Amino acid sequence: MRLIIILLATIGGYVNAHQWTPTHPEMRPSHIQGLYTTEMHLFNSRKEINYYSIRVFDKDWVPVPFAAAPSLIRTKYLDHHSSDIYIRKADLKRAYYICSKSKILNTVKDPSIIASRICSKIKK
Amino acid sequence: MKQPLILLTALMACAGAYATTPINGTVESKCIITTDTDGVYGNPAGDALSTDPADGGVTPIIRYDIVTADAYVAKITHPDSFSSSPSLTDTVTWTGDSEAGQMSDSTMSAFNTNKVEYNNTTEFDLSVAGSVWFEVTSEAEYGYEKAFPAGNYSAVVTAECIAQ
Repeated sequence: MRLIIILLATIGGYVNAHQWTPTHPEMRPSHIQGLYTTEMHLFNSRKEINYYSIRVFDKDWVPVPFAAAPSLIRTKYLDHHSSDIYIRKADLKRAYYICSKSKILNTVKDPSIIASRICSKIKK
Repeated sequence: MKQPLILLTALMACAGAYATTPINGTVESKCIITTDTDGVYGNPAGDALSTDPADGGVTPIIRYDIVTADAYVAKITHPDSFSSSPSLTDTVTWTGDSEAGQMSDSTMSAFNTNKVEYNNTTEFDLSVAGSVWFEVTSEAEYGYEKAFPAGNYSAVVTAECIAQ
């Protein structure tokens, strides 16, 4: 019985996940005039993934210009990462989704690789 | 005189040797994508690669944890090209499917009933909170009964969670 519990705890402890929050970020004026900002959080518990890219899209999935520090996140296993996203006031109305996507290195040769992308919707 | 003093000091130190540490947490609306099982292509015939266990493959399984119902849509795209393979001179015909397998709530069976398929993408409305395991199948056929060249083949399944 004890062995089963230990085994279940070991299996349950191995997580391989991607989290991107908040679900509905709110853009607020930044310290730079004409730019709005929000903070997004990434949690990487995918062992095989070290990079995530950030993109901003409109309602029709057309890319919207943005600046992020950084826009390509280098992360380690079980790493939390915060990223500030900046969008121009002129683009604010059409900016709709802020997405993070796992980047798979060319050197990864697994037979079937899973790319994950999570998109948050900007609160209007 | 010294010994009782030392003992008293030690006792006082022990009496105060505890502290309370608060643990704080917030549960917020989110979608977590977990790669549960990586897929493997089986090679049941020279011209075919398949993740079907009956063909010697392993079905990739992706778990979605949904904290709030009706907050996200899941989009799963099965491959329509290899991300790496030996040089191929003929066309590859791709088929595949995604469906909810295990689920933490029986009402999640509605995910399969209401799923929308287009191109090689399947869209699920995550209308129930909980955990669901999506199984993705992928098959590739080469030319007209032509044998795939020897080598390593990789393909990418894309799992997305889009806020509504």
